[in-house]
Amino acid sequence: MRRSWPCVVVLGLVAEVGTLLAAEPIEYNRHIRPILAQNCFACHGPDSASRQADLRLDIREMALKAGVIVPGKPDQSEIVRRIFSTDPDEMMPPPNSHKKLSAEQKELLKRWVAAGAEYQPHWAFIPPKRPPLPEVKNSAWCRNPIDRFILARLEQEGLAPNPEADRRTLARRVWLDLVGLPPAPAEVDAVAADPSPDAYEKLVDRLLASPHWGEHRARYWLDAARYADTHGLHFDNFREIWTYRDWVIQAFNQNMPFDRFTLEQLAGDLLPDPTFEQLVATGFHRCQVTTNEGGTIAEENLVFYTRDRTETTAQVWLGLTANCAVCHDHKYDPITQKDFYQLAAFFNNTTIGPMDGNIARTPPIITLPPPELRVRWKALPAELAAVRKEIEARKSAARAEFDKWLAATPRPPLSVQPPAEALYLQVPLDGPAGDATSAILEGKAHTVPVKSRVSWQPGYVGPKSLRLEEKPQLELAACDFEKDQPWSAGAWVKLPSESASGALFARMDDQNGFRGWDLWVENGRVGTHIIHRWQEDALKVVTAEPVPKDRWNHVLVTYDGSGKAAGVKVYVNGQAQPTRPQADSLKSTIRTQVPWAIGRRSTTAILVGLAIQDIRIYRRVLSGDEVRQLVDATRGAYLAAKTAAERTAAEKDELYGLWLAWSDQPSRALAARLAALEKEKADIEARSPIAYVMQERPEPAKAYVLFRGEYDKRREEVSPNTFACLPPMPPEFPKNRLGLAQWLVRPENPLVARVTVNRFWQEIFGTGLVRTAGDFGAAGEAPSHPELLDWLALEFRESGWDVKRLVRLMVTSAAYRQSAATSPQKLEKDPQNRLLSRGPRFRMDAEMLRDMALACSGLLVPKIGGPSVKPYQPPGVWEAVAMIGSNTREYQQDHGEALYRRSLYTFWKRAAPPASMEIFNAPTRENCTVRRERTNTPLQALATLNDPQWIEAARHLAQRARRQCGAEAAARLEFMAKAVLARPLRPEEHQVLVASLHRLAEFYQAHLDEAQKLLSVGESKPDPAIPAPELAAWTMLANELMNTDEALNK
Amino acid sequence: MSLFHDWVRYETRRQFFRHGANAVGFAALATLLSRDGLERACGAETSATPGAPQPKGTPPQASSAGSPRRSLAHFPGKARHVIYLHMVGGPSQIDLFDYKPKMAEWFDKDLPDSIRRGQRLTTMTSGQARFPIAPSKYKFAQHGQCGMWMSELLPWLSKAVDDICFVRSVHTDAINHEPAITYIQTGNQIAGRPCLGAWVSYGLGSLNDNLPTFVVLIARSTNTEQVQAISARLWSAGFLPGEHAGVALRSSGDPILYLGNPPGVPTSVRRITLDGLQKLNEMTYQALGDPETHTRIQQYELAFRMQASVPELVDISGEPSSTYALYGDEARKPGSFAHTVLLARRMVERGVRFIQVYHNNWDTHSNVAGRLPDQCRDVDRPCYALIQDLKRRGLLDQTLILWGGEFGRTIYSQGTLTRENYGRDHHPRCYTMWLAGGGIRPGTIYGETDDFCYNIVKDPVPIRDLHATILHLLGFDHQRFTFRYQGLDQRLTGVEPASVVKGILA
Repeated sequence: MRRSWPCVVVLGLVAEVGTLLAAEPIEYNRHIRPILAQNCFACHGPDSASRQADLRLDIREMALKAGVIVPGKPDQSEIVRRIFSTDPDEMMPPPNSHKKLSAEQKELLKRWVAAGAEYQPHWAFIPPKRPPLPEVKNSAWCRNPIDRFILARLEQEGLAPNPEADRRTLARRVWLDLVGLPPAPAEVDAVAADPSPDAYEKLVDRLLASPHWGEHRARYWLDAARYADTHGLHFDNFREIWTYRDWVIQAFNQNMPFDRFTLEQLAGDLLPDPTFEQLVATGFHRCQVTTNEGGTIAEENLVFYTRDRTETTAQVWLGLTANCAVCHDHKYDPITQKDFYQLAAFFNNTTIGPMDGNIARTPPIITLPPPELRVRWKALPAELAAVRKEIEARKSAARAEFDKWLAATPRPPLSVQPPAEALYLQVPLDGPAGDATSAILEGKAHTVPVKSRVSWQPGYVGPKSLRLEEKPQLELAACDFEKDQPWSAGAWVKLPSESASGALFARMDDQNGFRGWDLWVENGRVGTHIIHRWQEDALKVVTAEPVPKDRWNHVLVTYDGSGKAAGVKVYVNGQAQPTRPQADSLKSTIRTQVPWAIGRRSTTAILVGLAIQDIRIYRRVLSGDEVRQLVDATRGAYLAAKTAAERTAAEKDELYGLWLAWSDQPSRALAARLAALEKEKADIEARSPIAYVMQERPEPAKAYVLFRGEYDKRREEVSPNTFACLPPMPPEFPKNRLGLAQWLVRPENPLVARVTVNRFWQEIFGTGLVRTAGDFGAAGEAPSHPELLDWLALEFRESGWDVKRLVRLMVTSAAYRQSAATSPQKLEKDPQNRLLSRGPRFRMDAEMLRDMALACSGLLVPKIGGPSVKPYQPPGVWEAVAMIGSNTREYQQDHGEALYRRSLYTFWKRAAPPASMEIFNAPTRENCTVRRERTNTPLQALATLNDPQWIEAARHLAQRARRQCGAEAAARLEFMAKAVLARPLRPEEHQVLVASLHRLAEFYQAHLDEAQKLLSVGESKPDPAIPAPELAAWTMLANELMNTDEALNK
Repeated sequence: MSLFHDWVRYETRRQFFRHGANAVGFAALATLLSRDGLERACGAETSATPGAPQPKGTPPQASSAGSPRRSLAHFPGKARHVIYLHMVGGPSQIDLFDYKPKMAEWFDKDLPDSIRRGQRLTTMTSGQARFPIAPSKYKFAQHGQCGMWMSELLPWLSKAVDDICFVRSVHTDAINHEPAITYIQTGNQIAGRPCLGAWVSYGLGSLNDNLPTFVVLIARSTNTEQVQAISARLWSAGFLPGEHAGVALRSSGDPILYLGNPPGVPTSVRRITLDGLQKLNEMTYQALGDPETHTRIQQYELAFRMQASVPELVDISGEPSSTYALYGDEARKPGSFAHTVLLARRMVERGVRFIQVYHNNWDTHSNVAGRLPDQCRDVDRPCYALIQDLKRRGLLDQTLILWGGEFGRTIYSQGTLTRENYGRDHHPRCYTMWLAGGGIRPGTIYGETDDFCYNIVKDPVPIRDLHATILHLLGFDHQRFTFRYQGLDQRLTGVEPASVVKGILA
């Protein structure tokens, strides 16, 4: 059989009935299925829930059994009678369906029944077979097998291919297609001048070896992976996942075979002893949108996440719109709802939580140490575990020694003392002394009069503690510090409520701009104010988290006298806390006349109900170790002083812990070892990026069929399995993501290779052989060149899924190398160039456009990889949509080289994608996107004309031309044309540009101020050697050139 | 220049009208360019279901295939414009529109299980030990001929009740902000579908030469205690051709991104470069014959025109003092709700088809008393003014105004309840929206809720019915207004049966 495929393009569901000759045999896939799919299957198709009259027309046996089709006998076939009926109660499709068959379609169905009503499986589910290369008349034109298929079709249509594009045009095209950048003028000159017959092929190989190849291919893949730098919903906060993007770049640069590329991204974590890189690869399914919206229901979120992973996988590898089967059996494709949830089960067994936490590093994540530290990093967990085990062992062994110590009389004290150096004020608050309580100020005994009602309650580090029962009146003439004096101040406190706010103690005049300082608590968070005048001349720092509730806590603040928020540290129970500076503008004195007071400022911020004990204030900054000593010594001494009868079992255990920590030498040595290892771990973490990874739960995966896709309407429980319409998964494959990935890339799979080569074809030629790159199902579009698609799929798979080889094949074909010029005949017969009657030419994607502007101006910083960057963006784009409190609300533009990186490194906020890209059809990256739209709008014109990035690039192009070519206008113009268009100007173009130049120069010579304004666009400084009016005129000329249709097209 | 050139001139134009797919650019151009007249001129071509296969060889999903070369309306609609005022966060219907006097005696009593019926709650209150009833602390009074009970928080709007139709029985399926706002904007809780404005742009096209068809305005709320996220996905074109996405008009900086020329580039200089550009592109066109090139030339010229028309639109300095007497002085402040609806009126005058306004901070989980008055102060008078203004200009009949949030609020208090203050959680089971103008029956009170404002007892209006009704007013049968995507004839109203709410039509 010479041809197993129809040669007429079947576009969408529209059968080309008009052109079907009466003599031509009717083919189900080509002529009949589109009619049935569009008009009949919704009610008489695969979906059992919506099936009417229990009639199924998509399966021959069923249609025959139901008796509606009698092969060879249209007159006896109910289907024919019904479609020709005009009775509204009988006619099909029924009037209320708003569907209508044309006369040709009816006739065709009738002829099909008459001819025997033969069915065919849907083409995409039939495994590809390698077709013979078609015979062509003009075989001399063909450079490789691709061309045989293209040309055969063109000859059939009576079209001739275009001649090869000139060398420069072709060079620019292939440069843009392979590395996403235009060639430099010198490079294009060299290629044009290369006399060797394989000059072009050599160029292709050079470009395939370029590290920019991986960047450009990654850019397309990242749309499919829905990669972005924020979580996506609600706060839409920053997500640190860029290492996945870099993995994709590297994978393409290493030409990783596509089957391995598949395996590692879907299941790298399940490979035996996975490498760091294989774990990073699993970031593919961590790129999805997540939420942390308060009030959302955990199960609903998890169902949403699993669904997205399932749909994305089906779309990217199978080219199927599985999402239709979320709520019901698929209307057109043989995918049942159960199929969907079986596939979903593969993705339903991860440790990923329902909430992203609004944090940059949502678990599961891994640390990615620099290569030289990886051995150490991998060894650390075992070493840490070993030390911890030893510590536990010592803890068990030492109890007897502790008991001995505790029973001894006299008993040696715990080997820890509160720091004594520079202790300025100590107020034990451990009991009343008449109507006062004692204090030691600068070494001398004082009393603090108690002038308000308090109660003395059981203490925590002394026999009694003080509780404030009304507006407190406990004052002392002390603590009159200046802002450049360091101090440390702390106490044991028990807050009156979780949401308590007020001053623990303060020397602060709240009637005079809050001058002074305090130890502060707000909503359970602790910190300090140090103020000259709130809020313009003040400093405030509080902890990010509240202190533990319903217990005594030791809180202590240290201040280094620097006047900066960075000079403040807050400790809770001896541990340094993460803090948030809320004011950092202190400049002037903080001294004030009001006395130091407990439980309030001079008049306000009162903390009734506060229990407090053991206030200590030092005239210096205590170290972290000293703070721990203070906490443990005060508590330990009190516990040790109790009699055995007074001490509870829990207190005894607590004391044991303190004894181990301070008095037991073996434990102390082990603790030091542990601390050293933890520090080593923390040090490595601090200098390492992280990766978002997949992680499987140990139990077997499962999922539930969800009625109408609703998370709380669970029906049948299902195990992981692949779609029943595709070759089954071999029983020996593991029933997890790894097994799924292995199944995808088996030779038996009819879809994966086709879907993949189609996407690469789309990147190069603008439209896939199957235009609906994400839908190879019955409702998708049939391939324009089905045999070529199969040939490429097999070529790709049998070459070992070699991506570079595949793309090389495409770009070295004669089809690719054609000139893009069209003709009336070609526009008529091949309006969208689906037949490749001319070379591919279309407006470049957003990233390529910006990269082109940067590259031809010489501004591009070609550095590969790293955290995402924030180039110029008009103000307000993020603010307009972001929630208050989101950490991607204010766009903080970067500076220096970050402004000139390739666009795939631009920070992508899902709720507001980069403005200049969104205008050019960049997706939001909220869902998997395998095909971008390509519109042509005035907003795009505004962007490339006025975006500061483009204006700055235009100026740099003008500067480069001036530096390279001197003052002579023709040479400069030539240089600019080669940079932007990769070719010299034609005389008539030269004329137009020179005319523009004269008018521009005239204007800027007369308006020096305007020239200077124009040259100040962008962060880089204009070249001072070039007179401003001249540079301004040339800048606008470059802007004109960079906005030409030719510049914007590849 | 050449025979070929002349042919292309002719052919390009011919193809624009015949082969949608070639007109990728033309489609975009059409959003800006095609007026009703052009739509009619092409209307003779017929009437296939939008998005359905084109007569010849044109793929139904081409990025532009479904663009409005003509109006796709099924019958003449009453409304030509829509102003959709979305109150982000979900206003409390109980404190504004749905008067429940019986609740006074229920203060701090538990919501009966017979009313709650185990319906799901958000996790913000599902853990609460009790669901104490919080009667509205605000006074209500009857207004107008229709006798609508209105809260004291809306004194201005109370004067206009006879121009308005209040639907007290809207209900939604979603209970949290993101899915709920996505649902009411796009007809589906999952992001990725076209929003109402995009559908209207797709179906009706533009009414003017130099402004976008579908404009989005985000008004600043005075109070910002509980602002919710709003993202561009809400005004995306989904699977419709990209040019139907809303164009967000900004209240600071360039009203449209990159609209302004760079510093040092006055209009005259821009004109010089565009003249040159046009000539160069014309040469490219002659050399290669790509119709897209021609479209690009047009788009650059349109962009140039927009550089004048958009600033003119947002420049309200020419508004007479009577405008401010009506809208209040707030209307002078860029970004205020009053200013935003004034711009909306100016857009209607200039032929913008769909104006989507967002006003934020209605999510009153706590502190209703501290926030709701601020919220109402922002919108009350401007809404009144907008209705009056359109009416006196004779534009109200052809302009549909829609006001409301993504869900309502609970009768029970979230958090601490006192007589003076309380919070209310999300409530999807019922809430109030109001509509005016554009074929809506004025002075109508539609739908009824139970005494607890918890369940609907009469005339429920699901979101899809609301959508069907809006489409009906614009001239569409929602069942036939479809776009083929992923093999399905997709529609705004989704797959479940929906019907036009006849009771609110004039």
